[in-house]
Amino acid sequence: MNKRVADLKSHRLPETAFTTLAAGRGDPAVIRLLQGAQHSKHIMLLHAIAEAAGDGDPADRGVAAFQAGYELLTRIQAADPGAATWLLGLPHLGGWAHDGLIRLDQGSEPDFAYLACAAAAAAVRAGVPFELDAPVRDGHVLLPGLGRLAVGDQAAWVRLRYDGQQLAAGDGVVVSRLVLGPDYGSGQPVPHWRGTPAIRVLAGGLAWDVLLVTDDSYLDRYTLPMSAGLSGHELRRWRQLVQAAWEVLVRHHRWAAEPIATGVSVIVPLTPQSETDLISATSPAAFGAIATSWPPDPVTMAETLVHEFQHVKLCGLLDMVPLTEPGAEKVYAPWRQDPRPAGGLLQGIYAHLGIVRFWQSQRQAETDPDHILRAHVQFARWRAAVECAVDTLLQTGCLTPDGVRFTSLLRDQDIAHADEPVPAPAQAIAREVALDHQLTWQIRHAAADPVAVAKLAEAYRRGEPFPRQDYPEIWVQEDVRKLGSSVRSRLLNMSYLEPARYRELCADGVLPLSGADRLLLGRDAETTVRGYRDLITGSADPQPDAWVGLALALHRLPTSAPQHAFAAHLPVLFDLHSRLGAGHDPLDLAGWFG
Amino acid sequence: MIAQQQDMKTAIPDLRDLPLDRLAELGGTPLAQSIALYRERLKENGVPLSSFNARI
Repeated sequence: MNKRVADLKSHRLPETAFTTLAAGRGDPAVIRLLQGAQHSKHIMLLHAIAEAAGDGDPADRGVAAFQAGYELLTRIQAADPGAATWLLGLPHLGGWAHDGLIRLDQGSEPDFAYLACAAAAAAVRAGVPFELDAPVRDGHVLLPGLGRLAVGDQAAWVRLRYDGQQLAAGDGVVVSRLVLGPDYGSGQPVPHWRGTPAIRVLAGGLAWDVLLVTDDSYLDRYTLPMSAGLSGHELRRWRQLVQAAWEVLVRHHRWAAEPIATGVSVIVPLTPQSETDLISATSPAAFGAIATSWPPDPVTMAETLVHEFQHVKLCGLLDMVPLTEPGAEKVYAPWRQDPRPAGGLLQGIYAHLGIVRFWQSQRQAETDPDHILRAHVQFARWRAAVECAVDTLLQTGCLTPDGVRFTSLLRDQDIAHADEPVPAPAQAIAREVALDHQLTWQIRHAAADPVAVAKLAEAYRRGEPFPRQDYPEIWVQEDVRKLGSSVRSRLLNMSYLEPARYRELCADGVLPLSGADRLLLGRDAETTVRGYRDLITGSADPQPDAWVGLALALHRLPTSAPQHAFAAHLPVLFDLHSRLGAGHDPLDLAGWFG
Repeated sequence: MIAQQQDMKTAIPDLRDLPLDRLAELGGTPLAQSIALYRERLKENGVPLSSFNARI
């Protein structure tokens, strides 16, 4: 073993980089530190797969292709280290390597042959000659990060030959190196070659190059499918949207634009289940890739980039420095419908720290009244949400010492926004949508001890004071109660996300809402309280949606004991009322809690 | 500029300058330990995805 191998060191993270990241920031130099660690991580995973391939059958075509790819990558590393670094930094490679490691741990075989394609892509970039067999899928050979070569038949394998100038596939397909690159949308179609759609945007002197990947199965690992087969029209729309979002970022959020230009190399368009959903995602397996469904406007796209890039940074840091311990406990996250583990909550907090900063600036940039309202509500809502979630996270006990330090530094950053004024109407909407989310979550996922609830019911029937010592134990249990539609919640969100559309929908009156829900949208609080109260009292079946609606209506009135009881004890109140049966007044019951 | 003092040690070995054909020589060394540690964390945490619906 030579000295270099014997002296193997781990990556080091400067304390200043840690504190910078904890504050939600990270300039390009910090991002490059994270990228360096990802490069090593990918080599590490590649080595684990290479060991498995070494134990495999040399006659197996996949194993042979892997060995050929590995040998080629070794040659590229010597001839053109930059090309090897490019490949080892691709999110595609990370996605594949993670998949391989998981398959090995599950006792199945990795997709060995993918490495032949990946190494071929790097060799084409580097001008390093090679000859190897590559797998064919749907008549194409994928060259990750570059594009797809149409090989003209449906054979499972094809021989690739590259002399540094031309790439030949089998006996009939020859393509010049000069065209074997991503497609920026400005060139003519090339026979046998489909470059990966790419976007090069420029604003304020800052450029960003990003691939739009829709054909690599190792980047199709999100909760929604990637939007495969985008038409020319759709690609143009994506290019225009990314350009417009980039202008927003560079002009108003340069703190985010610079590191994004360094750290995001891939966007994966997702296909949402509903046209009105906006889903975005990030995977720690694919550092540098961001997935999103179609955002409706450039500002939302810019926000999505900021949001998901926060996840990218945190994923990179977590690979280097564990911040959470494994734990079964799940808790409330103000941005999710499901209970989240500590690690998931930390991810959400970190993303929303970036979102708060984004809307803080965007408030000053907007000129349209509807857009100004949206910016203020987003800022106020997520500022409060981060504060609440940080407290929850610190109480889980699932943070490592570094995790506690990171979270405390992050909280200091959020506190720095605490005194910034928000117009009262925006603040009121922010409070209401946050309360709606929290109470809806509690109705869904907060279980109350049924024996203790039964005791409360007996005490209530006997006319006794509220027995505080018998308060039911509460625990998180997914989907302990079912709610009806989410139309009301969506509308409340729409009231600031898309005010014009909200006004239009409220006016046409065709939405599937209860009479009380319509009153809530009308904003006459006392009438709305009566509406929900009558609905609950007069119904033979439990009305969980109405209980949340009643809580929201009460919060539009001056402070009262029932108002506090609805916010603090809603799951217990609901279960108690269900136990008592129809006919009982929910406000009397809430008043009994004191 | 990033100060170089007070560095934190991390869980990832620095393999960037190591020729790929020399990796096999690292058999039972910190590299194997790092891979084992990474696999353990992957089993504990899976590959968590952040996924966010901005409309709810």
